[in-house]
Amino acid sequence: MIYVRESHVEKMGKTQDVSYEILNVLEFNSTRKRQSVVCRYPDGRLVLYCKGADTVIYERLGTGNDDLNKVTRVHLEQFGSAGLRTLCLAYRDLAPDLYESWNEKFITAKSSLRDREKRLDEVAELIEKELILIGATAIEDKLQEGVPNCIQTLSRAGIKIWVLTGDKIETAINIAYACNLLNNEMKQFIISSETDAIREVEERGDQTEIARFMKEEVKKQLKQFLDEAPQYFCSPSGPKLALVIDGKCLMYALEPSLRIMLLTLSLNCSSVVCCRVSPLQKAQVTSLVKKGARKITLSIGDGANDVSMIQAAHIGIGISGLEGMQAVMASDFAIAQFRFLEDLLLVHGRWSYIRLCKVVMYFFYKNLAFTLTQFWFTFGTGFSGQRFYDDWFQSLYNVIFTALPVVIVGLFDQDISSSLSKKYPELYKEGVRNMFFNRRIVAIWACFAVYQSLVFFYFVSLSSSTSRDSDGKMFGLWDVSTMAFTCVVVTVNLRLLMMCNSITRWHYISVGGSIIVWFVFIFVYSGIMTRFDRNDNMFWVIYVLMSTSYFYVTLLLVPVAALLGDFLYLGVQRWFFPYDYQIVQESHKDDADSINTPDSEETKEHLTPDEARSNAISQLPKEVSKHSGFAFDSPGYESFFATQFGKYVPPKAWDVARRASMKSKSKPK
Amino acid sequence: MDTNGATTSSTAGGGSTSKSSSKKHSRKPVYSRFTQQELPACKPILTPGLVIATFTIIGIIFIPLGLVSLSASEKVVVEIVDRYDESCVPSNYSNDKLKFIQNPSINKSCVRTLTVPKLMKSPVFIYYQLDNYYQNHRRYVKSRSDKQLRSVSDEKSTTDCSPEDKTVDGPIVPCGLVAWSLFNDTYWFSVNSKTIEVNKHDIAWKSDKEHKFGSNVYPKNFQSGGLIGGAKLNSSVPLSKQEDLMVWMRTAALPTFRKLYGKIEQDLQANEKIQVVIQNNYNTYSFSGKKKLVLSTTSWIGGKNDFLGIAYIIVGGLCLFLAVCFILLYVIKPRPLGDPSYLSWNRSPAGHPN
Repeated sequence: MIYVRESHVEKMGKTQDVSYEILNVLEFNSTRKRQSVVCRYPDGRLVLYCKGADTVIYERLGTGNDDLNKVTRVHLEQFGSAGLRTLCLAYRDLAPDLYESWNEKFITAKSSLRDREKRLDEVAELIEKELILIGATAIEDKLQEGVPNCIQTLSRAGIKIWVLTGDKIETAINIAYACNLLNNEMKQFIISSETDAIREVEERGDQTEIARFMKEEVKKQLKQFLDEAPQYFCSPSGPKLALVIDGKCLMYALEPSLRIMLLTLSLNCSSVVCCRVSPLQKAQVTSLVKKGARKITLSIGDGANDVSMIQAAHIGIGISGLEGMQAVMASDFAIAQFRFLEDLLLVHGRWSYIRLCKVVMYFFYKNLAFTLTQFWFTFGTGFSGQRFYDDWFQSLYNVIFTALPVVIVGLFDQDISSSLSKKYPELYKEGVRNMFFNRRIVAIWACFAVYQSLVFFYFVSLSSSTSRDSDGKMFGLWDVSTMAFTCVVVTVNLRLLMMCNSITRWHYISVGGSIIVWFVFIFVYSGIMTRFDRNDNMFWVIYVLMSTSYFYVTLLLVPVAALLGDFLYLGVQRWFFPYDYQIVQESHKDDADSINTPDSEETKEHLTPDEARSNAISQLPKEVSKHSGFAFDSPGYESFFATQFGKYVPPKAWDVARRASMKSKSKPK
Repeated sequence: MDTNGATTSSTAGGGSTSKSSSKKHSRKPVYSRFTQQELPACKPILTPGLVIATFTIIGIIFIPLGLVSLSASEKVVVEIVDRYDESCVPSNYSNDKLKFIQNPSINKSCVRTLTVPKLMKSPVFIYYQLDNYYQNHRRYVKSRSDKQLRSVSDEKSTTDCSPEDKTVDGPIVPCGLVAWSLFNDTYWFSVNSKTIEVNKHDIAWKSDKEHKFGSNVYPKNFQSGGLIGGAKLNSSVPLSKQEDLMVWMRTAALPTFRKLYGKIEQDLQANEKIQVVIQNNYNTYSFSGKKKLVLSTTSWIGGKNDFLGIAYIIVGGLCLFLAVCFILLYVIKPRPLGDPSYLSWNRSPAGHPN
């Protein structure tokens, strides 16, 4: 039982609470695209109210009232052009016996154990027909703040953006204009199922005929556009291409025979807008690009209808917010607003890529330099397999002596600051083109590792072939290897500092700390002799070593000689073959450190209460409630609503041009 | 309406109360520089100036160092090297050196004459140098027992030493191949028929004498088997005083190595002729090894090794050369720092439609 506060003109505007009994609720689902309730008036009248998308409601209207239907349709188009989301409302009076028989079927369907959804749909079909149209509603579902900027920045970064929405084609096109995805200079290819030819065939009602005809139409249009397309991108300054396709046409275009044409055409377009797509089709389109074009796909959505799309893509992002947490729970990353995608991709994504490349390359390099030193030693041992380094050195090399610095680099390295990353989105393409981890880079690091290992081994062993210092005594195997290992640890850690773009105090701490830990370890290791040692090779080695001047002379020479090659390479690379990010670094190297965040609170400490309040107001997010509906950023709503109230608001110049171009396109309906 | 109501309420909260209570409504995590990746950082850029400066500084520091090291090695240190294993075999055995060396009854002494090229200030160190002798072979390095060397109670721990681990009379002390192959050539020096005294004390590492080789461990059953590998040890002298053994047991790193034999504590004048009587006992003939006798003085950097000096000079010279190259390149083909026209998207505006 629900109560509705009504005020009728006949009752002199007095409000009263009228009770209605809800008998059945036919739930919404995305295949039916509508929902209904059956209710009983206080006077016993049974009514079915239905609300849904205009196409599905119009299919189920009864005859009669054609004028109202036509007028409503015109209104719907106007709403769509203004970018509003439309719904149609309809009702039907039910006779009690009709209702009773239907209710039985409904109850059976509802309590069935198998195929409940399908049976409910079938049962709903039985009663949702012969509806009488009440009218249409239009809602503004506005874009979040910062979406057009974000999309523009991302397309500058070389990311292609497709819009997949369940809205009508006019709404979708409007949204695309608002987001800067479409503009008037683009050549738009529109494949729509609402042409007159298709409507005619639909009215005839033969399903197979409709299917066949639509498929032919779609095929014809795809072919035509595919033939037209090449002439546009032969000239580099020609207009960009855009594709707008409808959900019904998409159903045929995704079939295996037409899929390749669709893929080729859409990959040549800089934006694609798909409207009236069901969640399944969203997933299908995503898989088409993912598997057919073998590109990395990212899906972002905020509602339950986006879940399949989010899961189908390589990376799925859910926007947590007003439509619930379904999308968030199914996604790989969750963000709070669409505009954070820019940060996620251009700042964190890019940094992640750079850091990952550096960490992986450094790991291979340091182990290569360390291990190859032993390799050169085997030539001098008769290939007997004698190890150059002590067991403990080898085990702890990757664990203590060189482990922490690379972790710090992986966490903190930034080539340019976050604000600059967003200012130069083209830098994102470096990651797309895989410029920091390819065969050439691996080969260069490997060459330098080989060179360094040669330096380590030969410099140390050739210089220790005579007396250790003025007391005439000689070094043995373990003394030479300790010297070499010290050089390796120092060099490898210094090389890390050379490859950092930004050095924080944690870098200094970890690099210095690793070297100090090595010395502490070797002091302890060679100072103690326990009963459990198999042999005492290392006893007192480091103390003797550090009492000779040979140690210090060699420790100065070997790291410098080893790093000379790397330093030269880095200098030459930056000078003659700079990467883009390096040029950006140089051009902004004198900028003050942008540690102050844009909304830093420190500046507001000395404000009067009034100023504080106005600051607070200006900082509130502009959208507070989902029922307000403004700032669609779309042209025209102001003038639309103004005209409804009889006020005149001058349309904006760009709006006039756009409307003119759109009107000419929407003519062929 | 709803929106305005919400607006006014939170604004009133922000204005009238202090900042902290308006922060209470926010679910923003606490700001810290560490988590927001805004740590103060030094962002070094390898500008041409920096590169040139670095190379120049390295060159300026290294070349003098190299010259100092080289002069110490070349001028201060005097070295005499004399190979004697070929010439110390009597002529009738020159085709069958192995038979010569393995026959204990043949007299193995041999006399050589060394000429001192320059004044050699005391102490003059005597080394024996072995070539093609792989003291760093894995099984050789493994074949010793440091536990046994340290204390009598661990006499029986000879696991790694086989086959030289025990005899029927008990464990061999010191066990293993390293000790078994102890070098046993001896040298007696005289100049103008006057014997030069060789000091064989303090030739081993102090840590070896004091800690690694026990003072209550005596050689036992040493070289008592059929195959003799090298010198015999005096079983009444404890290991901590057997300096030749200690020097030998510090396995060398490379197949060509020298080990300290003793010290001469008097000056050797230039052009003096030194008579050396060598007992050519050690068998290097079965694996074509070489034996050499070395007399050398030392400097602050050690013996006669030009490597460090030359390496310093080469690295320093290379750095200066590179600095000059970079200066020339900088003058000829400069690239203005941070010039946006070098960005790849500014360089090729035509590009591809994507």
